[in-house]
Amino acid sequence: MTLRWAIPALALCVVLPWLPGLPLFWVTLANLIGISAIVVTGLVVLTGIGGMTSFAQASFLGFGAYTTAILSTRYGLNPWLGLPAAMAAAGLAAAAIGAITLRLKAHYLALGTIAWSVSLFFLFGNLDILGRNDGISAIPPLTIAGFRLVDVRLSATLIGVSVVGVIAATHNLLDSRWGRAIRALRGGAMAAASCGVDIARARMLAFVYAALLAGLAGWLFAHLQRAVNPTPFGLYAGIQYLLMAVVGGAAYLPGALLGSALVVIVNDRLQDWLPKLLGTSGNFEIIAFGLLLVLVLQVAPEGLWPHITRRRRHTHPRPIAAMALPKRVAAQANRAFEVANLRRNFGGLVAVADLSFTLAPGELLALIGPNGAGKSTSFNLLTGVTRPSAGTVHLMGRDVTGLSAPAMAEGGVARSFQHVKLVAGMSVIENVALGAHLRGHASPLRSILRLDRAEEARQFAEAATQLAHVGLGDLADRPATSLALGQQRIVEIARALAADPAVLLLDEPAAGLRHAEKQVLAALLRRLAASGMAILLVEHDMDFVMNLADRLVVMDFGTVIAEGPPEQIRQNPAVIEAYLGGVA
Amino acid sequence: MDQSIFLILLQDGVVNGAIYALLALCLVMVFAVTRVILIPQGELVSFAALTYATLDTGHVPASLYLLGGLGGAAFLRAAWAKRGTALLWLAVETLVLPAGIAGVTVWLAPQKPGVAVEVLLALAITAPLAPYLYRLAFQPLANASVLVLLVASVGAHLALGGLGLLIFGPEGSRGPGFSTAMLSLGDQVVPGQSLWILGLTLTAMAGLYLFFEFTLLGTALRAVAVNRLGARLVGIRTEQAGLIAFTLAGILGALSGVLVAPLTTIYYDSGFLIGLKGFVAAIVGGLASYPLAVLAALVVGLVESFSAFWASAFKEVIVFTVIIPVLLWRSWRHQDLEDEE
Amino acid sequence: MPFRRAVLATPVCLAVLITSLGAASADPVRVGVSISTTGPAASLGIPQRNSVALLPKQIGGQDIEYIVLDDAADASKAVANARKLIDQDKIDVLIGSSTTPSSLAMIDVAAEKHVPMISLAASASIIAPMDASRRWVFKTPQNDSLMAEALADTMQKAGVKTVGFIGFSDAYGDGWLAEFTKAAAPRGISLAATEKYARPDTTVTGQVLKLIAAKPDAMLIAGAGTPAALPQRTLRERGYTGVIYQTHGVANADFLRVGGKDVEGTILPSGPILVAAQLPDSNPIKKVALDYIAKYDAANGPGTVNNFGAHAYDAMLLVQAAIPAALAHGKPGTAAFREGLRDGLEGLKEVVLDHGIATMSPTDHNGFDARARVMVTVKNGGWLLLP
Repeated sequence: MTLRWAIPALALCVVLPWLPGLPLFWVTLANLIGISAIVVTGLVVLTGIGGMTSFAQASFLGFGAYTTAILSTRYGLNPWLGLPAAMAAAGLAAAAIGAITLRLKAHYLALGTIAWSVSLFFLFGNLDILGRNDGISAIPPLTIAGFRLVDVRLSATLIGVSVVGVIAATHNLLDSRWGRAIRALRGGAMAAASCGVDIARARMLAFVYAALLAGLAGWLFAHLQRAVNPTPFGLYAGIQYLLMAVVGGAAYLPGALLGSALVVIVNDRLQDWLPKLLGTSGNFEIIAFGLLLVLVLQVAPEGLWPHITRRRRHTHPRPIAAMALPKRVAAQANRAFEVANLRRNFGGLVAVADLSFTLAPGELLALIGPNGAGKSTSFNLLTGVTRPSAGTVHLMGRDVTGLSAPAMAEGGVARSFQHVKLVAGMSVIENVALGAHLRGHASPLRSILRLDRAEEARQFAEAATQLAHVGLGDLADRPATSLALGQQRIVEIARALAADPAVLLLDEPAAGLRHAEKQVLAALLRRLAASGMAILLVEHDMDFVMNLADRLVVMDFGTVIAEGPPEQIRQNPAVIEAYLGGVA
Repeated sequence: MDQSIFLILLQDGVVNGAIYALLALCLVMVFAVTRVILIPQGELVSFAALTYATLDTGHVPASLYLLGGLGGAAFLRAAWAKRGTALLWLAVETLVLPAGIAGVTVWLAPQKPGVAVEVLLALAITAPLAPYLYRLAFQPLANASVLVLLVASVGAHLALGGLGLLIFGPEGSRGPGFSTAMLSLGDQVVPGQSLWILGLTLTAMAGLYLFFEFTLLGTALRAVAVNRLGARLVGIRTEQAGLIAFTLAGILGALSGVLVAPLTTIYYDSGFLIGLKGFVAAIVGGLASYPLAVLAALVVGLVESFSAFWASAFKEVIVFTVIIPVLLWRSWRHQDLEDEE
Repeated sequence: MPFRRAVLATPVCLAVLITSLGAASADPVRVGVSISTTGPAASLGIPQRNSVALLPKQIGGQDIEYIVLDDAADASKAVANARKLIDQDKIDVLIGSSTTPSSLAMIDVAAEKHVPMISLAASASIIAPMDASRRWVFKTPQNDSLMAEALADTMQKAGVKTVGFIGFSDAYGDGWLAEFTKAAAPRGISLAATEKYARPDTTVTGQVLKLIAAKPDAMLIAGAGTPAALPQRTLRERGYTGVIYQTHGVANADFLRVGGKDVEGTILPSGPILVAAQLPDSNPIKKVALDYIAKYDAANGPGTVNNFGAHAYDAMLLVQAAIPAALAHGKPGTAAFREGLRDGLEGLKEVVLDHGIATMSPTDHNGFDARARVMVTVKNGGWLLLP
């Protein structure tokens, strides 16, 4: 998708406010909507897409507004220089607050941001340098070539341009390597981590980005209102922004604009209509607004944008022809994976005891065992999801014991999940491209500036290649979660392959596949092994495994009870005992 | 700070903490059962307190209109969704009940029936608002995400807050104490009202405990809290569970309001901040653990009381910043990477 | 493409939702009012709104039209309201807002659009220091400095040397702390302790214990409306028996209702309207104030009148006095009329209001003198004028 809409939109920003006959107050409303939309766009990235609920966006607006207010009143700095300062202040504040708070999950994080919001509100109101509760007034307006931007129509152009810029930048960010990481945070964090995404960094990125936008909005706010005090930066304002995001459609970028516009306009209209309707000017606006809010959510719980557009998806084919991504340096070790005496206790319970095996490049090894044998825990230990209590893991001769999931991915391990973890809201090919995260290097800034296109094309070319490889090339642009479960498993394999792994770990890849599909999968795995990849599968389907694997490791009650080629395992009395429960 | 000041602050903190604890319990329960973070809980507290204060002046409280209006609206909303089934019972619950309460109130209020009756009337007028609110706002959203429920909760809070201003006006009121006795413990004077608060809070907690442990309904509620789908599979209707959770929250919220009314002046919007502190405690308790929430509520009350003494200008800053390390500690206990909803 | 549609959809939404704009006819004088009828300052804004309803719809044959908006004590809402009233409703004069921060935020809009503005908030910083923007701004409540000086005088006469201060943690409390500190120092009064509390706080025990521990000669509570009763009750509960001073923010009947016996003996400065019936007949304010009280109580029930509403009424009394001069400049709805109205307001001399007698000047846009304040005490559950 290109940003061709941006050019006419920019032209509109300049022309529209001066339209003859346009009531001036509409322009004022549009300005309010624009400033809110910038903040709410940040919230869409952070909350709707990233899954981190924040009530503190108004506080970051405050950081931006106060920074430029102080610089331009106390130090007489040109208001334009306040822009980088305001954004820097908001960004730094977010980095500091995020460093402390972002470890919090779900409602803990939401409450954490409420706490910051309340604290910062009282802090703003108690600091002399910020003018205490009276705030700072007589902030100079922006000037262009000595001309003061006092007229709301001139401000409207500036705000409009900012909104267009923010939406374009956010769109660019989301449509990039790091953007896919952020989009995976809600519901797909484990999958992203397995692709080498540093989850903490992706969360911080979304948090700081949202704060930067709030800082920008704060700068606009300060020079438009020309007075700042703590009230617009309190918890209530923070709630208001969240509400705009949810009403518009928190997971949709256009929802930010729609939500802001609706909330601002409805509030304004209620002020005019209700007194006429009820014949008195009571305090009915807030009541009506609250009722409307609940009603809108009942009609459109996902927000109004998806409700209006009915989720019509626009596929945008990407250029497939691009230079291939560089390959990983081929593994030289003769042991891809070497596990020795691996152990994991949960409290007093030993889930895995003394697991040891080796896996050579080009080998297909299967880990089997009855339910509760410790297969899943073993899998988690090998992929860095769970830390072992004892024992060592070597990857290509390097000690990787206890490394995190992204670090394991960096070392060359790729995996699939027993419960499929594709990112809802991303297309099939985007999910696969997430797998190539570590093979790209574009920073978020480069992505925002659209300087990452060559690398992006290569990532998508790689994703398309892998999809073709697993036989799902024609489903590339479908929403990932619209596929049948078996197909989703295969997509996961494609995603793992996009990482160009040395070791592939598959958790029940054949579950949910039809017989023919299993044949195709088996053929694929054989091909991969033949190309030198080391493959470890955990599987329930005995037929599938016996016909496929070179070697099997059988577990029961957390310990290895047998190891060897399929024909040997078939005869092993301990295995028969474990599977048939001593009936035989 | 000498010992007597320390003891007074301690007492003050514990009494306020007890009220936060009651609210925290409701919030934990409502969230566990319905996934709604019940922000309008604060309004219930305010409304109960102001209704109680109005009753004590011998006037008929205007909150009766709210009771009737919300009940009627709940009836229409539920009747529209149900289209004809079980309408009779619904009508009893949402139409006849408010009419009955209104009748009794209009009859009794001018007679100044005394504190005990006034408390009961205030509870009867305020508590049903919560289940009506559930029927109106949250039941139709039963399958929405936590975030959407939260924003709906904000909407209900805004609307109720506006109604509160309309009904009770911007100025506050204070209710009569349950007891004017002052007990001397050494050189400490403990007002009888504080003992009432502690006593009733403990009674309510014990009641909740018995309800959850030993009644069928309580067990059903716990089942829903643990596993919504599973509970539905074994035949527990989640709507019913939500209704019960809201009813309990209504009763406990109204009780908190009546308890706090004699301590301080209550305004139509006082409840929000009181509720927010209950919410803090509820989250520190993980929105799951009742004893932890109660403990956390006491800590919030104490931190607030002592920081008011040491640095009153920064009281809220202190209260809300000290919880961050606690949250971090709680969050650290779930280190393993998990996917969030 | 979703984005393109969003960009296009917004103006459409605007058009759909924004209906007719009142095409302003040039005839009536349009008065725009933005006050805080909801939110934390509702106890100020609601009586102000009720007072606007009492205002004459015609002054000297000239139609007057009022448009009242709520800003919920949010400064950004107040600014939006000001722009709306000026741009959409084409008002000739802007009245509001109820709180200082909101009023401060509105100044630049009024000045930019050359619309005279009359604030209903307390702080002197709204009209001083006089500058190009504040040229357009007037205010009817007494400056808090005027009240603080009266209070400090009274304390000095009573031999008070040290004062314990507890105030709102908002602009009102801040303003009073600053003004009182300024007024107290030259009179040999010092602050022994300063504490803060928030309007909806349920307990101030911590603050009160600290105040009592500082052993001041007297206490001063700077809060508005019924919330100011809480520290006083707590002080009495904790055994404090000294004199308690309050500010003019508490001057309403609800304060007495909530405070009960604990507020007996409180001393506070106030506008004369609070004790209008007790004023000597020779005081011209008495007639004006009693007239307002009668009107207000008739419309809203006996005993409901309070000082805050009278500020809004006073604002309109000022406008009323300035209209003849303004009409000489131009017709309502024109820039000339607004300019004339501003000049007229600035030239007002000895206008009798509910709260005092105003004489404006280019440097003083409040215009009140010592006649705008009286000292009052609470006795037997009512207000008593102190000599």
